[in-house]
Amino acid sequence: MTARLPERPGEVIDRSSSLPFRWNGGDYTGMAGDTIVSALAASGVRVLSRSFKYRRPRGVMTADFNDPNCLFQVGDEPNVRAAHRLLEPGMDTSSQTSWPSLRFDAKAATQALSPFLGPGFYYKTFMRPRFLWPVYQRVLRTFAAGGKPSPQPGHSSPDKRYAHPDVLVAGGGPAGMMAAISAAERGARVMLVDEQHETGGYLRWSDSDGRLALADLRTRLAAADVEVLTDSVVFGRYDHNWVGVMQRSHPQGERLIKARAGVLVVAPGLIERPLAFEGNDLPGVVLSGAARRLLNLYAVRPGTRAVVLSANAEGAAAAADLADAGVEIAAFVDARAGETVVRAKGRTGVRSVELTGGKTVEADLLVTATGWTAPTALLNMAGVVPTFDPESSRFVPGEMPDDVMATGGIVGDGSVADLLSHAAAVGQEAARRSGHKAVHKAAAIPAAAALAPPSKEPVELPTLEPEPHPPLFIGSTSGFIDFSEDVTTKDITAAADEGYRSLELAKRYTTATMGPTQGKLEVINAGVAHAIATGRAIAGMGTTTWRPPYAPVSLGALAGRMLEPVRHSPLQPYHERVGAQPIVAGQWIRPNHYGDPAAEVTAVRSSVGVIDVSPLGKIELRGRDVPKLLELVYTNKWSKLAVGSVRYGIMCAEDGVVMDDGVTARFAEDRYMMTTTSSGAAGVYDWLEEWLATAHPDWDVRLTAMTDAYASMNVAGPESRALLERLVEGIELDAESFPHMHVRTGTVAGVADCFLWRLGFTGELSFEVHVPAGYGLHVWEALLEQGADLGAVPFGLEAQRIMRLEKGHFIVGQDTDGLTRAHSTGLSTLINSDKPDFSGKQELEWSEADSGTMLVALQPEDPAVVPPEASQVLSGNTLVGRITSSRMSPTLGRSICLAQLTQDHAAPGTVVTVHLPDRTRVRARVMEHHAHFDPEGSRLRG
Amino acid sequence: MSNKGARGRLPARFSAFDLMRRRRSWPQAWRERDLKSTYDVVLIGGGLHGLATAYYLATNHGITDVAVIEKSYIGGGGSGRNTAIVRSNYLTPEGVRFYDRSVKLYEELAVDLNFNVMFEQRGHMTLAHNDSSLRTMRWRAEVNKLEGVDSSVITPSEIKQLAPYIDVSDHSRYPILGALWHPPGGIIRHDAVVWGYARAADAAGAHIHQNTEVTGIDVEQEKVTGVTTSRGKISAPIVVNCTAGWSSLVAALAGVKLPIVTRPLQAAVTEPVQSFLDPVIVSGSLHVYVSQTARGELVFGASVDPFGSYSTRGSLDFIEGLAGHVLELMPSLGRMRVLRQWAGLCDMTPDYAPIIGPTHVGGFYVDVGWGTYGFKAGPAAGESLAQMIATNSIPELIAPFGVERFAAGTLMGEKGAASVGH
Amino acid sequence: MLLIDCPYCGPRNGSEFAWQGVPSPRPDPASTTPLEWRRYLYEEDNLAGWVEERWKHRSGCRAYLIIERHTATNEIRAVRLLGGTPL
Repeated sequence: MTARLPERPGEVIDRSSSLPFRWNGGDYTGMAGDTIVSALAASGVRVLSRSFKYRRPRGVMTADFNDPNCLFQVGDEPNVRAAHRLLEPGMDTSSQTSWPSLRFDAKAATQALSPFLGPGFYYKTFMRPRFLWPVYQRVLRTFAAGGKPSPQPGHSSPDKRYAHPDVLVAGGGPAGMMAAISAAERGARVMLVDEQHETGGYLRWSDSDGRLALADLRTRLAAADVEVLTDSVVFGRYDHNWVGVMQRSHPQGERLIKARAGVLVVAPGLIERPLAFEGNDLPGVVLSGAARRLLNLYAVRPGTRAVVLSANAEGAAAAADLADAGVEIAAFVDARAGETVVRAKGRTGVRSVELTGGKTVEADLLVTATGWTAPTALLNMAGVVPTFDPESSRFVPGEMPDDVMATGGIVGDGSVADLLSHAAAVGQEAARRSGHKAVHKAAAIPAAAALAPPSKEPVELPTLEPEPHPPLFIGSTSGFIDFSEDVTTKDITAAADEGYRSLELAKRYTTATMGPTQGKLEVINAGVAHAIATGRAIAGMGTTTWRPPYAPVSLGALAGRMLEPVRHSPLQPYHERVGAQPIVAGQWIRPNHYGDPAAEVTAVRSSVGVIDVSPLGKIELRGRDVPKLLELVYTNKWSKLAVGSVRYGIMCAEDGVVMDDGVTARFAEDRYMMTTTSSGAAGVYDWLEEWLATAHPDWDVRLTAMTDAYASMNVAGPESRALLERLVEGIELDAESFPHMHVRTGTVAGVADCFLWRLGFTGELSFEVHVPAGYGLHVWEALLEQGADLGAVPFGLEAQRIMRLEKGHFIVGQDTDGLTRAHSTGLSTLINSDKPDFSGKQELEWSEADSGTMLVALQPEDPAVVPPEASQVLSGNTLVGRITSSRMSPTLGRSICLAQLTQDHAAPGTVVTVHLPDRTRVRARVMEHHAHFDPEGSRLRG
Repeated sequence: MSNKGARGRLPARFSAFDLMRRRRSWPQAWRERDLKSTYDVVLIGGGLHGLATAYYLATNHGITDVAVIEKSYIGGGGSGRNTAIVRSNYLTPEGVRFYDRSVKLYEELAVDLNFNVMFEQRGHMTLAHNDSSLRTMRWRAEVNKLEGVDSSVITPSEIKQLAPYIDVSDHSRYPILGALWHPPGGIIRHDAVVWGYARAADAAGAHIHQNTEVTGIDVEQEKVTGVTTSRGKISAPIVVNCTAGWSSLVAALAGVKLPIVTRPLQAAVTEPVQSFLDPVIVSGSLHVYVSQTARGELVFGASVDPFGSYSTRGSLDFIEGLAGHVLELMPSLGRMRVLRQWAGLCDMTPDYAPIIGPTHVGGFYVDVGWGTYGFKAGPAAGESLAQMIATNSIPELIAPFGVERFAAGTLMGEKGAASVGH
Repeated sequence: MLLIDCPYCGPRNGSEFAWQGVPSPRPDPASTTPLEWRRYLYEEDNLAGWVEERWKHRSGCRAYLIIERHTATNEIRAVRLLGGTPL
């Protein structure tokens, strides 16, 4: 049975089109311009969904985005607002909450149990017997509302956009359009955002005068310099007028726009409020706005015989539209004359309506026009506290901050002319206020000076006040207050009676306002029902804290593209070419090994290897007072570091906890190069700057971050000197000219301005070569090429980690943790308490006698067992520490570890028990030196 | 389980049979009382901690002359804003023991309170995206096992079995190398916990005063004598600061300064969809945790905001970052929609551990600094605090958490895990 | 997203700045006591209201700033260079 009417004057459908689509497995057709739901309604479909708890049949109620009964699955997209989403050919749509089918929902049996399913029923049962609780959980979860999320990866969203409108208008009804026009005409950059598919708000479905006014507004808007975004929503106003806009209509999908608005003009209009009475959720009970939208936009007849309950002009207008479309008006119930509807009756739709006095009228349609909810969400987010106005039975805005204004229905009622004149003044004033910002900005951005303020004096706003409206919220019978959550008047009353006497508690207890509409339809009725139940005045009803987003926004659009940077060394092309195994280390992706880390170790120990250490943090320090800064941030002595020398140091925070470590070289009297751990580079740079800025602004020290300026490679192994001699010019490499822990600058493989220092993590004779980044790959390849006959190989992080463990060098953050003070590293000789001050000095002095744990080298008695890192160490049954690093040593052919142990178990020779993750245990001995291999360091100094 | 000493009057017993039979309304869950001028114990803050303390004072120790003073409605602060995750897989043995006690109490709570708190132990999974966080997971697992807590490190394929929507491929920006798996962890109906305790505490005799603000704490000669409220003065020899968010300000009323910075923690919830995710998923590196409620919504949380604030308004950058990271973990959820975002206030201490115990003001106790972990701790904190008040001695379970550790420079080690974790 | 008017760079998004809290004066290292030092390290006023905080324009000019911010509303009423006068 088709419900499509002959052509209507304001209709938005294209009658020449025919769009086939599927719904619940059946074939339907609609027209271009239809929403999914208008197409179904035109096809005569009445029952669109089943309700969440009682599985009651539901149909169109608001016929717009907020319709709680029209959430569909469309393809792999759940929870589509089908009364808003435009129909596309071939769409596969279905209702969500019904099993096995919409016509027969097995769970509808819960209706019979409704006395049992009152508010919070689940809190009162399913507790005993306890072993059944997991079963109950499963059953309860099958009641989850909503569609099915796609298991298939892949979402596409266009890149996010930043916007800087002087005036951002939220709401494209007549008031919003006029505010935008008027602001733009005074030179403001304006963005106008509307949720509907076209501008015009309620004028779109109004009468011929309204359509004329709309045509005029659209002409003026098109002429004004306004960016208009339809099918878009201002979903949040955040600190300092940072405004979130979701552009649903973007051709590539939802797009997030982040706007720093000069002035936000809030003009969302009003949301029509349902009345709570028995049967108010039956298919066929619709709001007056919904009836008019269906009739006038989509040419759909919502019923054949109607009862109209009207408390305002909209109700009368709806009745007139219905009559015009050939719907029989069985009764016009004038609420302003004290008449009302008692209940609607029917099973899968309205069959009859009982009126005050007991009279029952046969009808398949009940249209209600019983008042409005002011969607003050954006105002609330701006800190505005709206107040309830009992005269007009709705909330009105309270005091506003300077950068937020409101106009239109949210402020007051009146003729179109009244609204437009208020909006025009608001637009002017918004332009003026944002102009002041532009002038302020002109100091910093000269180009902004062109935006002259349109008016110096504040613009006077004409009065716009809400009209009185009868207080129609709760009928004489219990009806649904929250349609998405199946909460009735009775439920709210029951909650109040049970002691949930704060509205917030009652909402949480009943879950009213917690569903997909987030209170837009139900918040006032819930508040009133609760006020009545608790014997309080309706006027005292507190405002609801509307939280963002005003309308739901997709994760895909919020996420956009993953823009978190990955860092690669300049040598990355080589690593990729040879297929190095990568490892993620913070932001860096580095080669973990090139096939066989143990072989890499053997190569370095026997001949020579090269490792890419470019991620090493590098900071250049220049100036007279660098030594003072070094004394302050390192625990050891720095003032006597000679030019050409390199020293190792530990940095502590002011609580004495180890923060970072590394070497610093002195190139010249006033020029140093500091290195940090790869992950600590940014933090150390901040730390140095902080000391200079906050404590010693008078010091002559300048810092430059150099990490990316150099490619760094460590050439390690007995043949490292032989290899470098083939490539280095201008530096004598023999042990006497270039001793351990010294730095030289020179030319490497033809590349000038390189610096080299003699040190390394591996314990072998080694030179760390730092090359201007652009030439790094060239030098790296030259090293491997020239070293081929010496057996030179690249080695990765894993081989380095093995070798540093063989040497007992600790890694900050692995062998230390957030409580490890410097003494616990076992390097007390590096703590110079003679210095008058350094970061951490005080705590280190006070804790010297007992610094908690101690870092020690440990060897399992069974050399084949490598206790996994983080294995716990026990003495008897007492926890005395943990393994912080462990590997099989290819050099020694046995397992080796570093461990943090309590002081009383740290003495060399102590035997402890290591508890392995598989619950077996292994005994291990504390070693005399941290170094398992070459403790004298003879190889290093060779 | 719980040591039930002298019990107060039990609230009306709920049962399915009762639900069917009852045609008229239920008795009030708790009553509105006149404010007395004197109480034995005043608990400031009608959230989970204050109400649980009142409950255990009455049921375990027979102390019922207790007032819980709440400036708004019960559970309106952190108790109603958290993401309702319960777990005990902490890093330090002290932390593990304490939170494990809480999990044990939670397991019995529905029966104890005769109020179904809907504790769903669907497991708790902390993902590791690099070898250093994997090492921390193993560290936690090993400490947990030694303390008798079910916790282990699992592989990507085991992760995929437990949570099929997670992308465990190695080509993502943050590849998943493994996870800490903690079967007893799960989610709970946070409001129900608050109401259950309130109802039972009220039945046992404690007075719950909502919409009553403490405006002053009266101290004479370094001893607390009572509080001044918006409804009048109360004299009491014992006053406990059980607030969150405003704990520094409440402590300041008694002249006590705390090592706390209040920072917002944001959370968000999506529209409901059919059930598809059983365990709670956490990624420390990506600063995100996700669970699916029985109602079908996904609940998300993040780490605390980058600056201190008392503002509970959400931020846009938060949901952007969150969405990016959730999709990094579960790339197919791009079309799910965020329905609501909010923030709660977290009192952060320097060592990521709470502050419980006496202060330099006699009779004035604190139960504060609960950071992002106060909800999971509620039952054990209430039980211990009640024991401390009743016995005038500090229970072993909370001894490590005294405020004196800061002056002594002996901080707790949960920060140790945080700084190693990522 | 806060909008912070950097004296060097002009108005920039708050995400460019690093918050460092309300600075407390560092005790004299020569004479400090454990109690005084740990108060300096750990204790906070943690006020709800107008505070003067230190921020750093970390992803910008890296200047250290003193910002007057209301910790309940996040409103900002003054930004100046650390140790300097407003530009």
